[in-house]
Amino acid sequence: MTDTAMEISGVTRNDRFTRGSKLADMLSKAGLGFAILAVVLYGSFVSPAFFTAGNLLNVLTSMSIVGIVVVGMTFVLVAGGLADLSVPATIACGAILSLGLQPMIGPVPAFVLAVGLAGLIGLLNGVLVGYIGINPIIATLGVGTISLGIVQAAVGGVIVYGSNPASAEFAKGRLFGIPVVVLIFLAIALVGHFLLSRSFWGRWTLATGGNYSAAEASAVPVKAVKAGAFVITALASGISGGLLGLTLQSARPLIGAGYEFSAITAVVVGGVSIIGGFGSVPRAIAGLIFVQLLTNVMVLNGVRTPIQGFVLGALIVGAVGVDAALRKRGGA
Amino acid sequence: MRFLALISQHRVAIILGLTLIISSLVVPGYLATSTLSLGLDRAATIGLIAIGLTVLLIAGQIDLSGGAVFALAGIVSVILQREIDVLPAAIVGILVGTLAGAINGLLVAGLKVNSLVLTLATMLIFRSLAHWITNSQPVTGTDIMLSLAFAQVFLEIFTVRSALFIVLIVLLHFWLTRTVPGRNVFAVGSNPVAAKDSGIASDRILFLGFVFAGTLAGLAGVLQSLVTNTGSPVFGSELTVAVIAAVVVGGTRLEGGKGSALGTLGGVLTIGSLTIAMEFQSIPAYVQQVVSGLILILLVVLDRAVTTKGRAPGTRPALVRDNPITQGGNV
Repeated sequence: MTDTAMEISGVTRNDRFTRGSKLADMLSKAGLGFAILAVVLYGSFVSPAFFTAGNLLNVLTSMSIVGIVVVGMTFVLVAGGLADLSVPATIACGAILSLGLQPMIGPVPAFVLAVGLAGLIGLLNGVLVGYIGINPIIATLGVGTISLGIVQAAVGGVIVYGSNPASAEFAKGRLFGIPVVVLIFLAIALVGHFLLSRSFWGRWTLATGGNYSAAEASAVPVKAVKAGAFVITALASGISGGLLGLTLQSARPLIGAGYEFSAITAVVVGGVSIIGGFGSVPRAIAGLIFVQLLTNVMVLNGVRTPIQGFVLGALIVGAVGVDAALRKRGGA
Repeated sequence: MRFLALISQHRVAIILGLTLIISSLVVPGYLATSTLSLGLDRAATIGLIAIGLTVLLIAGQIDLSGGAVFALAGIVSVILQREIDVLPAAIVGILVGTLAGAINGLLVAGLKVNSLVLTLATMLIFRSLAHWITNSQPVTGTDIMLSLAFAQVFLEIFTVRSALFIVLIVLLHFWLTRTVPGRNVFAVGSNPVAAKDSGIASDRILFLGFVFAGTLAGLAGVLQSLVTNTGSPVFGSELTVAVIAAVVVGGTRLEGGKGSALGTLGGVLTIGSLTIAMEFQSIPAYVQQVVSGLILILLVVLDRAVTTKGRAPGTRPALVRDNPITQGGNV
């Protein structure tokens, strides 16, 4: 059944690579690899601090927090859900609640509850986008504004501090010399990858994003798939926010600001199509590695923060432009 | 068509009326002209950006970078006051908005990319520029007395800003309803392919729509900076949701092809009076955010529930659909 859906969507949609042979696919994958290599080489030449274990470990740790969100955001983009702009709210929900509820119910239940509530925000997004058919950007912008307001109201609009040193130790700790946060990210990325590329859910997600009507006609539960993508993103952001809160031991309402852009940039730069129907978790993570290394090199070279935002924005425009150009060549 | 338009106009009036009645019951002295004048002045900022967004939404596009352009234009106009006179500085500030809109328009019409994602990216870029120019610090203008001139109330209720807003929105109403280019915007928004086949230069209309929206965001930003004598890189970051909410309350559809200037006027007045009412009751900013978010979501859902007929449920949003490249002939 799903195979039929894939076939139909493969014919009808302007897939970038069905027309463009294996070579184009190879090039598009290798291109990002070369880009990463170029940044690494450039970084090592320009700054002696770049290619050191300490710095790379730092990059890896900060990458992991965004990376967890990126895994979820990949599902949203592939399913044709454009983007989830409620990420700052779900991260804040995860961070504020997992710290704020610690004194009352203990660290582990607090974390679980925080992630669960973030998932609930995602469910709201999913219902609005998938079932009611509202523009995803508008829906997530609105839901994000509402939920962030509610979370702020719940804690009185102040900064929340951690009260459980043991959980902080765990989040900042290492297992076999690798930071726990990185391990959690890798685990989530693996699960996400297999879910998207090997499971029926992943095939449904690709079919829904590739050709909505064809997928619907092939009995793919398109509405649930679309809604599910937002739930997955919200759960991921909740976990990411909880980990961020535990690592920093403090959470302000705006803790998640900017993470939505970092995640979208990574996914789009990784070559996941903004229109849906094409992409994978490893691609998105390759995009993330590229963006993070680039940012790191800029920081080490003393490039000011605004310029980094400028570069991120330019990267999104460039990647989206390339996506559009590739589609055009694929035969519109 | 006319019937639906009538309903949506009534909807705005009903919502605005309810807001005013409830506010006047809860907030003492709400219906005094001084309060209303203040509310109108505050609404004018949202309103000027909303004017541009109305045109874009009717054409089936959106601009999320308005808040950032607002900040950038204001900053430029304030910084330039040290070099040149206030008036030329203000004009340059507005032109910065025009330029930003032209960039958006060129990228959307030229690259054929989704305007939501593109303006999200340019929003990041314009906001970064604002931080870059100012070193992330607020900047102040040279002439403090100018603020007073702008705060002057005439004819009991108008300030310069609110009068300008009212004049512009009335002009927009006539442009949209009585002129050929205005009608063409609706054609492009409801069916870009058909519009193109009928000889309408869709791309040019889209481009000019973005230029128009950018210019108005710039105008709003410059006025805000002149009134407060300050330019700040964080100005306008909370405006996006409020502006979209105002336009949607006014009955303009996010899917394109439907909307009116008078509806936007009603929507802006509703959001403005609501804001003033909440501020008078000292309701914290985050609760106000919840309210404007709720209004936005509820009305979009309502729109969806009322008008799904004729459109298969779950069809892709028009912002994706009416991009000729992504559409692949399956509408």
